[in-house]
Formats: sequence, structure tokens, C-alpha cells
Amino acid sequence: MQVDFAAKELTVKLVYYGPALSGKTTNLRAIHWLGTSKACGELMTLETQNDRTLFFDMLPITVSSESGIKVRLKLFTVPGQVMHNATRRLVLQATDGVAFIADSQRSEAAANRESFLNLKQNLAENGIDPDRVPIIIQFNKRDMDDIRTDEELEAIARQSREPIYTAVATRGYGVMQTLRGLIRETWSKLEEEHGLHEKFGVSPVRFMQEVESKLKHDPRQQER
Amino acid sequence: MQDDTNAADILMGDVVRLEDVLSRDSVTSVSKSFFTLFGLPVRVISHEGDLLADVHRDRPLCNYLNTSPGGERACAQTVGAVRDLEPDGETIVHPCFTGAVYRIVPLHYQGRPIGRFIIGPYVPAETKRAPASLTAVDPSIDAGAARGHFDRMPRVREDIAEQLSAHLKGVLELLVFSGHRAQLASTMQVASVRENYRELAEKNEALKTSYDELKQLDQLKSTFLATVSHELRTPLTSIIGYTEMLEGGAAGALNEGQSDFLETIRGKADQLLGLISSLLDLGRLEAKNLELLNEAVDPRTLLSDIGSTIVPNANRRNVALEIRVASGVPKIWGDPVRLRQILLNLADNAVKFTDAGGEVELSAEAGELGGGTSSGLGAALFAASRPAVILTVRDTGMGIPEDKLPRIFDAFYQIDAGTTRTHGGAGLGLSIVKQLVNGHDGKIEVTSSPGEGTIFTVTLPAAHDDD
Repeated sequence: MQVDFAAKELTVKLVYYGPALSGKTTNLRAIHWLGTSKACGELMTLETQNDRTLFFDMLPITVSSESGIKVRLKLFTVPGQVMHNATRRLVLQATDGVAFIADSQRSEAAANRESFLNLKQNLAENGIDPDRVPIIIQFNKRDMDDIRTDEELEAIARQSREPIYTAVATRGYGVMQTLRGLIRETWSKLEEEHGLHEKFGVSPVRFMQEVESKLKHDPRQQER
Repeated sequence: MQDDTNAADILMGDVVRLEDVLSRDSVTSVSKSFFTLFGLPVRVISHEGDLLADVHRDRPLCNYLNTSPGGERACAQTVGAVRDLEPDGETIVHPCFTGAVYRIVPLHYQGRPIGRFIIGPYVPAETKRAPASLTAVDPSIDAGAARGHFDRMPRVREDIAEQLSAHLKGVLELLVFSGHRAQLASTMQVASVRENYRELAEKNEALKTSYDELKQLDQLKSTFLATVSHELRTPLTSIIGYTEMLEGGAAGALNEGQSDFLETIRGKADQLLGLISSLLDLGRLEAKNLELLNEAVDPRTLLSDIGSTIVPNANRRNVALEIRVASGVPKIWGDPVRLRQILLNLADNAVKFTDAGGEVELSAEAGELGGGTSSGLGAALFAASRPAVILTVRDTGMGIPEDKLPRIFDAFYQIDAGTTRTHGGAGLGLSIVKQLVNGHDGKIEVTSSPGEGTIFTVTLPAAHDDD
């Protein structure tokens, strides 16, 4: 988190991590499409010709709190392909929260596991304790064949330390719930570590209400 | 709360200065195009107050007013005020005493102000006549002339001016976005390359350390082998010596059973001594401590000596032995004892692995050494460099599977455990042979067809004619 006292701004970094082709960029595209035009800035993508993320995608979201503090949430994706590990580690630097986008297909279970281990390793190499950073997991691609069933995911969720969400990012289902969950977990952690309520007068409940109202479906989205 | 980790985060950096992501040339180019299309002057100013583009044409009205002290002063005040105005979110339309206006439009990027642009002066189309303030700034101003110039000022409807400025704002903010994107991409590229390099350098360092440790271990192993072999050989020599004395009757006459036992003890002790000598050789060879003599050795003598040594064994196993020495074969430049060791080892193996009725052939012919490919790129540089003698040991035995061939010269390597059980040996012979051949600056090659036989070819430097 970066703090600009002069401008009364907090900047929070959120990273969408996960195996190649699990739908990280699609999540950001859907948020950009569904989010209010006032809150969401321009989506910056850095892709190759094959629509594969080369370095990262970035989507800024700005939320103003009642106390006058402006909170800028910067959403990033990492390149999922194994060979881009150095870039992934760089994007992950100083992250405040992570949304791990897993592929629901059974055939991708090993890729999910490998990517999660890679996330833990890269967090550690960046000096971030994987046990302390807020992480949520999204099981994406719920519309595909041969996926883990809802019952299986419910069973997984009961045992999981990380909150579990489901999504079909290509159609926008579940992406906002995931984002709100990520912001809630991250804010709660930042509150615990830095006492944001006391220092800046931003209560977690009020902040999440602000986030809810800023991120709800925008009827003006057609203008985009 | 601002901690050190943030300093390392290259992606959290925002556009701090407009000129960091936009070149003055590109801003001027866009402004010129705007001026050409709509006839409206444009100035672009960064958040820090730097003028990045200024595209305008002197208006006759302004020139005229600047000829009077009051007009010049009023003009300067207006221009200064317009330049210093920084709108906080919304566009400001600032009036000029002439009746014209300036439109000051803020530029934002990711929710932060990064600069502004100014359109004007222009006269809103809705203004029909010049205000009284036009002539009030100086008594010397001629009202008729001033109004004439005023009528020739560019006129734009305010709603159109608003659309035009929104368009220019969109274009400039898009340029900032693209510039920032390019800036971040190049920063990431450099950082990724550096990160990859750092990672590879770390791995290289780890590999080097591990290689050095392995080399040390290998050295320790060689020293250990040499020491242990030496310590084993000393008592063994005594065992053999005393056995020979017993056999010779030094301690009295022996009956038949005792002689048989002593012969067995001698045989096994000799075998053990051979193995220990091999280990010693290997240790010395690996430590590069084995000194080789250099003299001219006649291959004909060498092969016939080997032949006479192995012929009893070959006969016992019903294996035919043939020796061929081509005419004109030069002498070999090397150590006669070690050359014998090389050939004897290969020939012994050949007999050992050939079934009854098979054949073993030892041959020598003239050849060349040191050459690579005889044709193709750089053939002139890779041509054979010196005369050599090619010694071949060919058998019609069981052969060696192709996938095992690359490892047969490794120390202690056995093609399979069954071979060891059937034929004995510690798997040291070929390793020693290869190192001895290398020690002679020669080369050894093997070809084999399982079930048909094996051919070992040893190429050794020839002695000069006068040696």
C-alpha cells in the first residue's frame, strides 16, 4: 500500500494470479465492462498477437470515502505462462492482496496446483509471507464440461482457509463478487495492520458500502 | 506506513510529469492539427506549469491593443491570469476584456490532475457586439478600429467549443495513456531481463559451487583408491611370496592335496593382485600421475606377444585366434608395457565374451590421427594431422547393446550384473584402457552388433621413421 498524505490518497495493489489461460485478463475485462465508468479507469493490456498476456494488465479503480480519503485500487494480472516467472515475480512485488483464478476443469487441476505453489514461492521471494497476505480463490469457467461439481467446491470451501468464489468470467458472472471479496479481505488485513479507521477515519463497513455502490452494475456501460 | 518494499514496486508509479510520457513534438503536432482544422489557438501546460505546446497566430486585435500602454497592460494581465488558472475538475471559461474568452480544460489521468490546455482567445458566436471594456482600458484606443478588429476575431458557438475541447481532451488523455503504457512496458521489459539474468547468475553460481565440490570429492576418491590399493598390495605380496615358498618346498614336502590348495590360494591371490594393480593404475591415471615411457614399439612384436599370451585360453574355449599385420605398418610411439596392457585387456575380453566356435582377430594397419571430418566446412583445417597405427580387436561374440555403448568406458560399469556373475571382473579394464589410450594421445572407438560381435579400434600415434 502506498500512502500520499498530501493528496489524501491510499493506493492498494491487488494482483490476479493463476495458471495460463485460466481467465485473469477476462476477469479484468469483465470488471471494466461492468464497473461504473466513474470508478473504473482505462484498462491497460499488454498482450502478444495471440492475446496472451506479455507483462501484465492493469485496471485502476478509484473509491472516495466519506472522510475525504481517496482510495485507488490498482488491479493487475500476471502472465500465466511458465516461462514468464521473472515477470510474475516483478508484478507481485508489494502486493496487498491476491485473487487466484483457478480453472474449474478437472484436466487443469495439476496446472492450478503448480501455479499456486509458484505463487507461494514468488511471494516468499518478494519478502511477503504467503500465510499473511490475503488470498481468495476463484474457480472460473463454470460453464465448461468436465468441471469440479458445485458440491465438490462446497466441500473444498468448507476446508479451505481462503474464501472460494465461482465465476464464468467470459459472461461476467461472479467477477464482481470475487473482486468485492478480494477488496474486503485485503481491507480487513490492512485495517488490522495499519489501523486505517483510526488514522484516516475510514471504517471497514463504510468503505465496503462505498465499494458496493461504486462497483454495482452501471447502466451507462453501453457508452464504453 | 510507507515502507521500503514500495520503493521496489515498479508498477505502482503513476504519471508524475506529463512530459515523461508525452514528447513536446507530439503534443505540438496534435495542437497544430487542431488549430489548422478549427482555427482556435491551443496551449498545453503541464501540472508543474511547463508550457508543452503553444500554437497560435497573432490576432490583429491583440496587436492593435498592444500598441497602447493600457491595452498592453490589460492584455498581459489577462494572459497571465489565464495561464495561472488550474481548474479543479471542471472546465473554466475565462473572459477577456476584449469580449473574447479562453477555455481552460483540465487533463486527468487515473484520477489525478496532470495538466491542462487552453483554447482561445476566441469570441463566442453568441456575442454580437464588442463590450465597452474593449476601449475603456486606454483612452488612446480608437473605438472604430478596435471594433473592426473585433469583428474579424474567430467565432465559435459555445456548445461547439465545448465539443471541440472534449475531443482534444480525449485525444491528449489517450496519448498520455499510450505513453504510460509504453513507459511501463519498457520498464517491465528491462526489469524482467534483469530479473532473469539475476536468476540465471544465481543458478550458475550454485552449479559452479556444486561442480567444485564434486571435483573435490572425485579427487578424494582417487586419493582414497590409491592409498587403499597400496595398503592392500603390501600384505598380499607377502601372501603370494610365502605361498610360492611353500610350493617350492621351503617348509617341507607337500602332498597332492596341499599342492592343490596352495595353487588355488596362489591363483586367487594373483587375481586379487591384478585387481589391486588395476585400481592403482586407475587412481594414478585419474590423478594424472602415471608416467608413460615414449619409445618406438613394433606392432608386429606387440601383437604376436599378445597372441602367445592368450592362445592357451582361446584354445581352451575353442575360439580361433587370428593375427594380421598389414605391410608397411609403422612403429607405435608409446610405452611398451602400457601398450601391451591395452591390447591384452581388449584381447582377453574378446576371448572371454566369444562362445566356442567363434573367432577373435587382432590386426594392425597404418592410419592417420588427429583428423576430423574429411569433407565439408573447414575441411582444410580439420584434415588428418599425423600418421598413426590402427590396432583392431574384432570378435564374433555376444556384442554390446547400442544403448550401453556410451558407458562401457566408465569405471566400475558393467553391462549387466549377469555378465559380472558369468565372466567376473570389476568393470575397471575398459576404463583403464581408455585412459591409457588418452595418455598416449590416441583414441579408442567401439562398434558392435548384438549377437554378431564387437570391434574395438585403437588409433595410436606412429613413431617417426628415425625413432
